[in-house]
Amino acid sequence: MIPAKKLLNTLTEHWGVLELLFKRFKMADFSLKDVQNAIKQKQPSWSNERIYKETNRLLNQDIIIPLAKSSQLEINRAIADFATFLLQEEHLGLAQEISVLVDDLARLGNRLAKAGEIEDYDELRRFSRIMDDRVRKIMKLFAHNENAILNIVEQAKADNAVQSLQKRYQAVIEAFDEYIEPMLEMVDIRGDFHACFNTIEAQISAQIEQIDRLGKSYQDKRMLEQLRTRILEMHLVGRESLRKSADMLMPLREELRRNNLITRQAAKVLGLVRKNGVDNMLSAVQPNFVSDAQRFSLGQQRHIVAYMAGLVDFEHDEYQLPEHDDVPAYQSPHIPDYNDVKTQFKKRFKKASKKAQPLLNFLDESYPDLEADEMLFLYQKLISDGDLEISQSQEKVKIKIAQQHFSLYPFNSSIADDKKATEQ
Amino acid sequence: MTDINLDDLTHLQAINKKLTSGYHISEQDTLMWQELDQHIDAYRALFNALGHDLQHDSRGFYYFGSDESTPNMGKISRAIALTIYILIEHYANTGKDPMRALFDEVNDLELMQTLVQINKHLFDQLEIFSGSDLRKDVYLRMVRLGLAREVENGFMLQAPIYRYIDALMEVNEETYLGEDE
Repeated sequence: MIPAKKLLNTLTEHWGVLELLFKRFKMADFSLKDVQNAIKQKQPSWSNERIYKETNRLLNQDIIIPLAKSSQLEINRAIADFATFLLQEEHLGLAQEISVLVDDLARLGNRLAKAGEIEDYDELRRFSRIMDDRVRKIMKLFAHNENAILNIVEQAKADNAVQSLQKRYQAVIEAFDEYIEPMLEMVDIRGDFHACFNTIEAQISAQIEQIDRLGKSYQDKRMLEQLRTRILEMHLVGRESLRKSADMLMPLREELRRNNLITRQAAKVLGLVRKNGVDNMLSAVQPNFVSDAQRFSLGQQRHIVAYMAGLVDFEHDEYQLPEHDDVPAYQSPHIPDYNDVKTQFKKRFKKASKKAQPLLNFLDESYPDLEADEMLFLYQKLISDGDLEISQSQEKVKIKIAQQHFSLYPFNSSIADDKKATEQ
Repeated sequence: MTDINLDDLTHLQAINKKLTSGYHISEQDTLMWQELDQHIDAYRALFNALGHDLQHDSRGFYYFGSDESTPNMGKISRAIALTIYILIEHYANTGKDPMRALFDEVNDLELMQTLVQINKHLFDQLEIFSGSDLRKDVYLRMVRLGLAREVENGFMLQAPIYRYIDALMEVNEETYLGEDE
């Protein structure tokens, strides 16, 4: 038997080495050389002799033990468990572990009840102690598994691009299928677990009542009360821990399910696209974007549709051939030949050149049938004729010809100075 | 009735310009996104009255919904869709988590070349013949639409890509448009 204190001293002294071995080899075996290397790494200043001595010390104190029928070594299981607890490097246990303990608890509860019936207080105390131990174990397992699940989740979430999708989620899926699912089933309000606890609680309560009634062994009553509280607490802690674990795992599981779905769908769609062509396959589902161009162009489908619909009703405006009656009768212009007007004008103003005669008045008098525009046509012909001697008046005058009023600086028959017309 | 105080909508002009060009405003466009987030009711009412359909996706982006595309935009959209689906397959084939890799990994020219090489006959249909074609015809357009952003040596996809993943889940044999249609 190795004294505990001595063992603890060695452990503290070599904790670094043990942690290194534990992390490097997980639960696998290793050689003596590995141990020595680990010590050398932690204590580079130590001589080979010292390292050899320390290795032997670890071996002698059963901290490191040889594997059966092999020269390989492994860390003592008890120490390894302790290390997993300290390092929180826990691995997920089985749901069965807990269910076995719970079954045992039920068995012990029955025996406790029997011991109470026959008033065997020693037995009562003994079973109570064992049950207490089982309850602690279950609680420890709950905590342990919760930590383990936390580790799994952390690992799955760690951005480890090297790890494949399959591998990354394998642990999650296993944890879910092998621990959470059965456990949730077990702690279900209608499950065995619940019934078992109810029975045990009732049994213990009955014992306590009996002790109260008989007034015997007050000590045992406290112990039973404590056990009952602990069982209730365990029930609560267990459900809480499971709920927490499930909450942590659930999003990952969903993510995996979704990822699997998306990957599978992508592969399927690409397969269809390969077979049927990109445009045929994707046109119907592609997301559409608003674009500036489409607002102002005929490019949009509904524009085209509207355009085509419009085309159906389209008809050329028919060219209306004129009918015989529609043609207005030709009316010859009244305007007399300019040369006649000119000769008449010259004839008239040959003598009377003392007083300026307004040109328009002459036209109005000579050709009363003419329209105003026709008269003005002659007027402008006359004034732009170089042969005639005319001059423009300096004052603006209003003249009425053929029922139309004009205001202008009229040209008069006189000796021409200026030929510029300033018609209205 | 929503009261719209135009003085509150300080980025209206910029937001309108972006959205009407088909751009998706996601959380990376901090200013505009925050603005939209704060005054979503006012913006929605305003844009609705103008005949737009302002959509908010809870995965973190805003855009104008549209039922149809111009033929050109449709072609671009199909090219983007194909690229994303090929990316998903590529990531899955290389053992990565596709959804994570899609948004976390930089899409560089080397990756684009690989994608085009592996899926040559698919990209050929879209007249994309090389990695630089893919960059020009798809990635730069994704940037213009707010689906990706340019980083030091490539592109990072952004949340609006989810529109394509939603579309992906919709594809099935029924969406196949036969030659006669």
